[in-house]
Amino acid sequence: MRSYWAHIRIHLKLTFRDRLVVFFNYVFPLLFFFIFAQVFGSSRSAAFTQVVSMVLIIGVLGNGFFGAGIRAIQDRELNILRRYKVAPITPTPLLLASIITGWVNYLPMALLVLGLSHFGFGMAFPANWISLLAFLSLGIICFRAIGLMIASVVNSAQEGQILIQLFYFPMLLLSGATLPFELLPAWAQRVAQFLPASYLCLGLQGILLRGENLAENWQAVLALAITTLAATFLSVKLFRWEKEERIRGTAKLWLLAGLLPFLLLGAWEAHTQNSAAKVRALTHEMRRNQIYLIRDARIFTGDEVVDSGAVLLRGGKIIQLWRGPAPPAKTLHAELIEGAGKTLLPAFIDAHVMFQGEPSSRDLAAYLYCGVAAVGVSGDLPQTPQGELGAELVQAVSSSEGVYVSALTAAEMEDASAAGGNAIVEDSLVQQVAPAGVLEEWKRRVAGSAGAGGSHLQRASQKLIQAWKAGRALAAASCAGFPPLVHGPGIHRELQLWVKAGIPAHRALAAATAGNAKLLGLGDRMGRVAPGYDATLVLVNGNPLTAIDATENIAAVFFKGERVIRSELLERR
Amino acid sequence: MTAIRVCGLTKRYGSFEAVRGIDFEVPPGEVFGLLGPNGAGKTTTVEILEGLRSRTSGKVAVLGFDPAVQVRALKERIGVCLQATNLPDKITVREALEFFASFYPRPASPRELLERLQLWERRNTFYSKLSGGQKQRLALALALINNPQLLFLDEPTAGLDPQVRLEIHNLILELKEARRTILLTTHYIEEAERLCDRVAIIDHGKIIAMGTPAEMQARAVDHSRIEIRLEQPLSADCAPVASEAQIQWNQERTVLFATSLQPTRTLIELVKWLEQNGASIADIHLQRPTLEDVFLELTGKRLRD
Repeated sequence: MRSYWAHIRIHLKLTFRDRLVVFFNYVFPLLFFFIFAQVFGSSRSAAFTQVVSMVLIIGVLGNGFFGAGIRAIQDRELNILRRYKVAPITPTPLLLASIITGWVNYLPMALLVLGLSHFGFGMAFPANWISLLAFLSLGIICFRAIGLMIASVVNSAQEGQILIQLFYFPMLLLSGATLPFELLPAWAQRVAQFLPASYLCLGLQGILLRGENLAENWQAVLALAITTLAATFLSVKLFRWEKEERIRGTAKLWLLAGLLPFLLLGAWEAHTQNSAAKVRALTHEMRRNQIYLIRDARIFTGDEVVDSGAVLLRGGKIIQLWRGPAPPAKTLHAELIEGAGKTLLPAFIDAHVMFQGEPSSRDLAAYLYCGVAAVGVSGDLPQTPQGELGAELVQAVSSSEGVYVSALTAAEMEDASAAGGNAIVEDSLVQQVAPAGVLEEWKRRVAGSAGAGGSHLQRASQKLIQAWKAGRALAAASCAGFPPLVHGPGIHRELQLWVKAGIPAHRALAAATAGNAKLLGLGDRMGRVAPGYDATLVLVNGNPLTAIDATENIAAVFFKGERVIRSELLERR
Repeated sequence: MTAIRVCGLTKRYGSFEAVRGIDFEVPPGEVFGLLGPNGAGKTTTVEILEGLRSRTSGKVAVLGFDPAVQVRALKERIGVCLQATNLPDKITVREALEFFASFYPRPASPRELLERLQLWERRNTFYSKLSGGQKQRLALALALINNPQLLFLDEPTAGLDPQVRLEIHNLILELKEARRTILLTTHYIEEAERLCDRVAIIDHGKIIAMGTPAEMQARAVDHSRIEIRLEQPLSADCAPVASEAQIQWNQERTVLFATSLQPTRTLIELVKWLEQNGASIADIHLQRPTLEDVFLELTGKRLRD
């Protein structure tokens, strides 16, 4: 015990006296931090967690590979370990001292970065700070052990440099710590799944952004813990006191044994795609932290119209609504979205759709693409695919005494298929959203059917007007999912048919937003443009209050504060 | 109890036999020197005794322990000064000593050691700032930190300048005074002659000669050389009388060379004879055979090649 303590003390003293260590451990990460914080932090708050996790992970990698690995090799090459060899000591205290020193050395830097982010750059203090520190500690200990394991299997400083760079660079570039994961090509993403640093990054961002704890990251925690034990064990077993004691080249295969937990985890992830889904979820989380100012837009709040107003979005919520000019975007640290000539509405909600089996993530993405943020599903509520961006699923409402659910789209479709018309195909959003096969199939079916047009639409329209006049609550539904009605654009057609039937545009829009939100139990957070509500919005060109088909001319969709990249929504799946 | 007992020791690296059957004993309190050229097997032998290397065959007991088995017990009781070792650059003299003291159950007082080795003044100096001699004194201090019963000094003065070497010699002589058992390897002849009670000469993994430096010198087949310079040349017709000596003159008959197995007697006889013949002596030089000569004779090569 005395010997362990003596080792730790001397190791610490020597480390802090080493100017290189101080530079790489403190000066370098902090420089990095300030530069990137300036670039991303002050003007675009979204990327700030990325900056923090990048600095923290660069610290772990440097500390582990260079602080432990290269240093251990140097001690052997410089014949320092040789002197210890004749004393009655074993490698264990020596290596454990190195691991503990790394941790003691790293933690103040981590705390400094977190403190600066909070006090200097306004980052929210991590809710699970105990999990955060525990996870970072495990990370640093694991990477120290990996560094020592590499030192134990190489025969020269040169070999060590090469091997360590081979580990360091992929982990630096592919783990998601520096380059955002989604920018990597597919092969690099696959490689990244086998890198310990990827899981470190994923866990860290999960804890920072999503308030996760250690237990929710149990796979990463387990893999890091087992690797720590295996790498420490191997570095003790393969330890050499002298450069003259050479180890055979095949000993490098032990590295694979030490990293086996991550190889297994990588294979498992490649199979389940869990981490890939989590990466996407984190990306959304990060985009959600962006601050936006949408100004000079006509705003339909869910029940009334503001002719020219502005909203501020932050952290997934609507922070403020100005019924007039807004302060400059710069003073709000927000990205400006010019809304002149456009109308901002709450994202639409479709009261009734149907899925055959599990909904595909493409279907849910198609809704979001069309500005629909939630859909009511009849029957048992299916599971929402994890991590993908798409409309929320809630229980559908059905017509009752109080509520009238109208699906004119479905009625129109019945008529159209009887008449051989193609009203729905001409709809612009349908063409954008429907898979090519479905579109062709629909055309064939319509072309093949004969006979005069039906009167379904006419009758349904009359019922709607009656319900409206009777003062019943109206729910707008598309009944998408009944073939060949495709998922996504139905609500827009529904609105057009309502207005055609004689419902005023603002009444129809209120039904498809605030009204549906209330009926589906989402009324406390969706369906309105008001402070405190989810920043789930649609910005359309033109004015749907005077020309209802303007709703199809979508300029931007916001989902829980994230500006959805619509072009990517359908492409990915 | 014998400090070191080695019997039939061999060490083989693949097909290369580094040590080919070595026997020797070192009694307590003796300074024993292993002498030999580079690659003779000195370091291998010593490292086997220190417990750093395994042996191929033979019996070895160091302080009663088998170094291949009771490594820890042995390491706690021996002090070792290895060649070509280093300490971290930024460790101070005092920290190094205190750090190494922590490895042993009953260490010596670092302060006493530093004072004895004249390093107390430099106690807060970083290792990298020490001179070569100071580094070597620190190495000795580290070797003494556990009050060892047996001290291994592997080439303790290699690469040091003559003055520093003298300094280290005096330290070792002090240890010798204190009756420490020391096993010393060296390829400096003077060092062995000066410091060792007994020496063994190793070549090609075998001991080829062993004994006190004086015995070794006596064993030299070469005779001691006597050289006498005269102020004036001596007349050619008188021949010197001296028993068991071979005598030669230079051409001018001003310098007389003699080799003899009993140089003292020969010298007295020669001086007497020269005085009787009226020669006035300018200078007398007596050169005894050195270990170098012994070594050269035994191995056919010089030590420092």
